[in-house]
Amino acid sequence: MLAIEGLTRRFGGLEALSGVDYAVAGEGVFGLIGPNGSGKTTLFNVVTGLYRPSAGRVRFLGEDISRLGPHRIIAKGIARTFQTPRVYARMTVRENLAAARHTLAGAERRAGGEARIAALLEATGLADRRDELAKSLPLPEQRRLELARALVRNPRLLLLDEPAGGMTPAETQAMARLIEEVAAPGRACIVIEHKMDMIARLCAQVCVLNFGAKIAEGAPDAVLNDPVVLEAYIGRDGGGA
Amino acid sequence: MDEYTIQVLSNIGMFSFIALSAYLLLMTGEISFGQQAFFAISAYASGIATAMWGWPLWAGILWGALVAAAAAFVLAWPTLRLRGLYFAIGTLAFAEMVRLVFEIFRYQVEIDGELVGPDGSDGFRGVRYAFENDISNLDYMLLIYGVLAAVLIFFFLMGRSRLGKIFRMLGEDELLAEMQGVNRTFYKVLATVLAGFIAGIGGALYVHLNTYVEPKVFNVMLGVHSLAYGLIGGLGTSLGPLLGVAIDIGLLESIRIFTGYRMIVFGGLVAVLLIVRPRGLLDEEVVYWLKYRMWRRLAGSARRRPEATPGEARDAGD
Repeated sequence: MLAIEGLTRRFGGLEALSGVDYAVAGEGVFGLIGPNGSGKTTLFNVVTGLYRPSAGRVRFLGEDISRLGPHRIIAKGIARTFQTPRVYARMTVRENLAAARHTLAGAERRAGGEARIAALLEATGLADRRDELAKSLPLPEQRRLELARALVRNPRLLLLDEPAGGMTPAETQAMARLIEEVAAPGRACIVIEHKMDMIARLCAQVCVLNFGAKIAEGAPDAVLNDPVVLEAYIGRDGGGA
Repeated sequence: MDEYTIQVLSNIGMFSFIALSAYLLLMTGEISFGQQAFFAISAYASGIATAMWGWPLWAGILWGALVAAAAAFVLAWPTLRLRGLYFAIGTLAFAEMVRLVFEIFRYQVEIDGELVGPDGSDGFRGVRYAFENDISNLDYMLLIYGVLAAVLIFFFLMGRSRLGKIFRMLGEDELLAEMQGVNRTFYKVLATVLAGFIAGIGGALYVHLNTYVEPKVFNVMLGVHSLAYGLIGGLGTSLGPLLGVAIDIGLLESIRIFTGYRMIVFGGLVAVLLIVRPRGLLDEEVVYWLKYRMWRRLAGSARRRPEATPGEARDAGD
């Protein structure tokens, strides 16, 4: 579904991504982890066309999308959420979801319509918040709103940037359940997350970035116990502590 | 209706167009200090069409607005990459350029032994279509409000349509809109062109009412005012800018006690409102409250009749 080849992105002298090869084949939930500043969000930003790659290619469903503008990439069936939730603050919850429909092509836009929005509000537990202004929602609900909004487009590829960031354990669990539910057949979800138990529970495959390079990839159990990964997260053992 | 009232109401109507034009761009999140340029371009273009080429009034107005829209399209390309403050400065520079061009623009023809046409800084005299065709001031005022009503209907329809929603999305969070598949470039250009057209209608109406126009009418203060109208009146509805115009022209300019103090009071009003109500009197929250809370209250008023205050309504909803 998504194939990234030798992806490099520089900001001035800083290489935020250096020669990353990463592929997501088929459906399911895939983890993308790494310490802060390792390039995870940059990778999302390059895939969605917000940044142009400095080198390398991004292919989605076999097509090279690395030179396309964001609106063309999104139209191919990619949706995302943000590390810091972004909602249309002065619109209601329902209007936020309705807004996501406005950029769909005619036939898709008419399909479902209000019924689909109502179903998504129900599924994400936001039905009673329907007519609240989005800015009045607490953070966990804003994250659920972002997820519901991404689903309005019925994307093939869903990019979730720390969907459980800032959540309590109970809220995290609820979010994990929600992600399991939305990982429908024919859809791939890539999840950036720091909560390793959530990653271990959701993902069949995990990719680890550090300083913009891929340092490990594989099943969660193996990856999370890999000495290279542990070192990246907590530093070299043997400092005497 | 006496002549003075007609004159004040006509002014309110005409300046509503430029206020709506600035408001349209504010909706999409851009601040323009240059809408007076399109007002000016259309005033000249439509005046030339009726006074020099002998076109009928409706064609002159349409032509003026179209030329203004074309100029807006030309402005949109170089300023497209500019955002926020830089866009504001870009539009301001453009408007000043346009004004200075009209200071030296000469294009005159002899009609009935008299030279008619733009004459540089002396302005453009003799746009006498309304006078020659016996259109009374009252009729002309009705014309202004007829066209204004049409533009307002356009705004209301747009607000309910995809286009209006996409403009609002861009205004709320441009990056998010782009990440939802909005073609930012296309819609920003479209908004600029539409805003140019609307300001142009105002300019065309202006020149035919006054029969005369000169470049200094279109100085920066006109741009600042048109922007301030939306910011005072409110950005939640297209009636907001009209409220702003009514406050400025209807109250401050027309009532005797404010004579001479208009700019002081207006400036103070803008400053206070930007602090207290940064998005104007009729902002999105007021509109939201009217739409959702009042509606619910009216629907529920069969059960009880409480005094409606925004704070209470909000608590009651939780």
